[in-house]
Amino acid sequence: MLQKREKVLLLRTFQGRTLRIVREHYLRPSVPCNSPLCPRPAACRNDGKLLSGDVTHYMVPDWKVVQDYLEILEFPELKGIIFMQTACQAVQHQRGRRQYNKLRNLLKDARHDCVLFANEFQQSCYLPRERGESMEKWQTRSIYKAAVWYYHHCQDRMPIIMVTEDEEAVPQYGSETEGVFVISFKNYLDNFWPDLKAAHELCDSILQSRRERENESQESHRKEYPEHLPLEVLEAGIKSGRYIQGILNVNKHRAQIEAFVRLQGASSKDSGLVSDILIHGMKARNRSIHGDMVVVELLPKSDWKGRTVALCENDSDDKAPGESPSEPMPTGRIGDLEGEIATILVENNISVAPFSEAQMCKMPVNTPENPWKVSPEEERERRDLRKTHLVFSIDPKGCEDVDDTLSVRTLTNGNLELGVHIADVTHFVAPNSYVDIEAKTRATTYYLADRRYDMLPSILSSDLCSLLGGVDRYAVSIMWELDKTSYEIKEVWYGRTIIRSSYKLFYEAAQELLDGNFNIIDDIPEFRGLDERSRQAKLEELVWAVGKLTDIARHVRAKRDLCGALELEGVEVRVQLDEKKNIRDLIPKQPLEVHETVAECMILANHWVAKKIWESFPHQALLRQHPPPHQEFFSELRECAKAKGFFIDTRSNKTLADSLDNANDPDDPIVNRLLRSMATQAMSNALYFSTGSCAEEEFHHYGLALDKYTHFTSPIRRYADIIVHRLLMAAISKDKKTEVTENLFSNKDLEELCRHINNRNRAAQHSQKQSTELFQCMYFKDKDQETEERCIADGVIYSIRTNGVLVFIPRFGIKGAAYLKNKDGLVISCGPDSRSEWKPGSLQRFQNKITSTTTAGDSVTFHLFDHVTVRISVQASRCHSDTIRLEIMSNKPYMIPDTELLHQSAPLLKSDLVKEVTRSVEEAHLAQEVKGNIIQEDFQKYCQTKGRSLYTLLEEIRDLALLDVSDSHGI
Amino acid sequence: MAGLELLSDQGYRVDGRRAGELRKIQARMGVFSQADGSAYIEQGNTKALAVVYGPHEIRGSRSRALPDRALVNCQYSSATFSTGERKRRPHGDRKSCEMGLQLRQTFEAAILTQLHPRSQIDIYVQVLQADGGTYAACVNAATLAVLDAGIPMRDFVCACSAGFVDGTALADLSHVEEAAGGPQLALALLPASGQIALLEMDARLHEDHLERVLEAAARAARDVHTLLDRVVRQHVREASVLLGD
Repeated sequence: MLQKREKVLLLRTFQGRTLRIVREHYLRPSVPCNSPLCPRPAACRNDGKLLSGDVTHYMVPDWKVVQDYLEILEFPELKGIIFMQTACQAVQHQRGRRQYNKLRNLLKDARHDCVLFANEFQQSCYLPRERGESMEKWQTRSIYKAAVWYYHHCQDRMPIIMVTEDEEAVPQYGSETEGVFVISFKNYLDNFWPDLKAAHELCDSILQSRRERENESQESHRKEYPEHLPLEVLEAGIKSGRYIQGILNVNKHRAQIEAFVRLQGASSKDSGLVSDILIHGMKARNRSIHGDMVVVELLPKSDWKGRTVALCENDSDDKAPGESPSEPMPTGRIGDLEGEIATILVENNISVAPFSEAQMCKMPVNTPENPWKVSPEEERERRDLRKTHLVFSIDPKGCEDVDDTLSVRTLTNGNLELGVHIADVTHFVAPNSYVDIEAKTRATTYYLADRRYDMLPSILSSDLCSLLGGVDRYAVSIMWELDKTSYEIKEVWYGRTIIRSSYKLFYEAAQELLDGNFNIIDDIPEFRGLDERSRQAKLEELVWAVGKLTDIARHVRAKRDLCGALELEGVEVRVQLDEKKNIRDLIPKQPLEVHETVAECMILANHWVAKKIWESFPHQALLRQHPPPHQEFFSELRECAKAKGFFIDTRSNKTLADSLDNANDPDDPIVNRLLRSMATQAMSNALYFSTGSCAEEEFHHYGLALDKYTHFTSPIRRYADIIVHRLLMAAISKDKKTEVTENLFSNKDLEELCRHINNRNRAAQHSQKQSTELFQCMYFKDKDQETEERCIADGVIYSIRTNGVLVFIPRFGIKGAAYLKNKDGLVISCGPDSRSEWKPGSLQRFQNKITSTTTAGDSVTFHLFDHVTVRISVQASRCHSDTIRLEIMSNKPYMIPDTELLHQSAPLLKSDLVKEVTRSVEEAHLAQEVKGNIIQEDFQKYCQTKGRSLYTLLEEIRDLALLDVSDSHGI
Repeated sequence: MAGLELLSDQGYRVDGRRAGELRKIQARMGVFSQADGSAYIEQGNTKALAVVYGPHEIRGSRSRALPDRALVNCQYSSATFSTGERKRRPHGDRKSCEMGLQLRQTFEAAILTQLHPRSQIDIYVQVLQADGGTYAACVNAATLAVLDAGIPMRDFVCACSAGFVDGTALADLSHVEEAAGGPQLALALLPASGQIALLEMDARLHEDHLERVLEAAARAARDVHTLLDRVVRQHVREASVLLGD
């Protein structure tokens, strides 16, 4: 009764071998046809659902039609559908369970006029697959054969239309059998169901989505990244000049598309490339991320886009927080100040755990009961300046860690003696002691917007190493003997000393003294409690010293300017400020001459120490270099200046400084400030390096125009200075022909250390910048933008982009992007009252202006250095930190109402901003505590049980859900 | 690919059979002239060869001899090429030993051993291709071989497997159906009396369903008996034709 056939399957095993499997396949003479026209219903055993007999034709969909257009076949209008088993199996195997279940339900549903015909188990319908025949062809052939059989089975009474998507099947089978027609699905719908709109629409959308899917799959296929090249190939390629090495910078404003490779010094010279290399698109970027060291290959000039060949060894030290298991993940609510600060620290890989017991136990003590004293041995070793020299310090007001003091006096031979005395940190911090290792890890003191994390324990940084007034301290001194008139340096002495600082001045007071304004003496604590005469004598002495110092500094500086190129206006000072107080840099106070005097003395000391240690240790001294900038980085600066009619000559640091001085718009002081900050940005960063690792001509410090420079004067807050101190001590003992006791770093170790310190410095800068941004965001977060006047401010356009402008807001020191085209594609337009609105239109970007034209024809143009009114808001995000968002409200400068002019004329300093945010956070804490107290009282009043009842738990959960973070910060 | 559908909505199994239908059975007796009895059977793609020697004197240690009945010694082996993945050892592994013991139990129940005390009957079975239901094929082959050897039996021993899928009992499982992991029951039946020589099931099956599965297996075993009976009669007819003329 059954016929046994064998089907051969070739399967692939997990091991990759081919397995030949033979399966039985039984055929039977009759399977249910489920048609009312069946001549032998008893033999067919038709039970259950039958096709209706009153249709004009039966429709047999091909396997591809069932797979793709099942939704259309589900239309109840379509009647008399015979699904062949072959088609159903194609759905089951290739479309997954969901689609197949849909088909099964359709077949079970009595309302749908469709049946399944098990053609593969029917003796005369079954077709074995021929050798070499593709699966698809065999399926179509089987279905056609079954359709023909079915037609004959119904005694040719009912025409059958086979609907196929196979282009070849239509002509191949179309006219083979009379009564069995083969047409395409689209054709079928058009001919038989022209009125069935829904089906046509569905068909179109299915077609479209299928096409999209195909495109997508092609695209995603194309999106696969090429492999990175092996290291040997890279090295060879870089040497031969085929590949170029550089650091990848992703364009912040078009992060998906644009990235640039900034070339590294040497390679750019060799290949004659003058600009960065554009990396266009994610694929070309090939998985590299911002800050990676990459190797790129240039495409032919016609394409003119680079492609990342491979990631070189990833030099950047910044790990993602998740990667270092020892690093605790920051915890805290989003928007919470402490949590956000912790996040910034983790992001920059800064560990600020308090100093451990082991580190602290080696520290000397200084308590009222047990005061720290100068030890007699040290007294013998060191030169005692306590009696002979007038030593004083000039620092910002309220400074705790005084690491530099100055002295000046007349020698017996009439010459002058200038002294710079730096705290002797290395005396307390022995090499490889616990504190030393910790300080090396931290490498610098971290200054955030509202706090700082010290490099050294506070016993050192603000007490024993701090050169406070009126107490004995160890110091490392440099003293120059100067000619009395020409201030020519005759002799230099380096060594360890004991000093007692007489005055701890602050800048403003020193400046007053210099200007001959003696009212300030009431502010100087050292003068209090003295009788009039001794006070007068002491004052004269001090005023002479400060005056002489200023005179010398002026002279030294002029000489430096003369013998080398002219110094770029306060670049190093500015960078130092950047390391500490970012915003103050952008809102500089009137610089006092005393600032310059102190800075000049420090530069002089640093310079001489650099010379000394390099002479003693030519291959293992730690110096600081500032490489000359790439000219192409100045192009933006030049363009901007040109827009305002200035010419910036960037050929040398002298010409640059001169032309920057000249580029001053009397009406708008901000222009000069912006130009200067752009110049600063264009320059490369100053870096520490080991002298053994590069040639002598590269030691040059561009900003200061010095051939050798190092950091020596702030050992309390910079680890590099500690190293330099040790080097200097070693150099001194070498001069005395005594044993070099210090363990010096080899060139290689020092190089490694420099890299670490440079990285940490960068982290310190980043974290400071981020914390400032955080405070800015928190400041603006809770302001109601509509009503709050402070959210609306005057901004200056300092850069033009294709879809917006970059705006600087002098009042808050904020830089940010303001888009001229929003996410809906609308552009900004300004009406007659200069209020801005969003309207459909287009943007056109020029060299130094951008024009937005609406479809109505209105246009508004923004030039460089235009003043506009912007609204500041905060863009909150759950996965990134919040960012400041700027919105242009009007193209006219913002006019402050006259009544408020008075208290607004002073820009809001960052410190004020920090104070305000901190206060609001504290208030929120306070408010919560008060609430806690109330609950406590309630407990007593109602005799409630204390402890964790279910009610309190639920209340807490409710609080968690409803506590509006913005409320707690409300001011 | 969606999971294999063992039983379609229309009631077809993977290979096109309906639930109660057996695979194609073909058998021959007397395939070896050297042995006392031999048979070859194909159940679908499962192929087994059985050879019977005896009854003869106890070979090896005489202490094994039983005073009142014959010793039935069964050995099972399957060819290294019988399964999809090539096997390492053709016999002597745990599975073969177990199968041998099961066969011995089955045939001790069927053969009239008390007619041949202190003697031995050897049954060797080899599976050439395993495609599901090896035990059943072995028993059926061995039955034919014992008949061929002329050893008196109470009845045919007919074996068949049955499974349970989607509330339906399936008779005579193929390898695909076995591999799907459902419950499987092996039954050796003495069809005339309806006595069960061996019943074995490894998987869990709810008590409510057991009867239906057992019923399906028994019906299938009876069907097997019909077929084997036909084979034996055919063989006897051929032999008698040869002998008679």
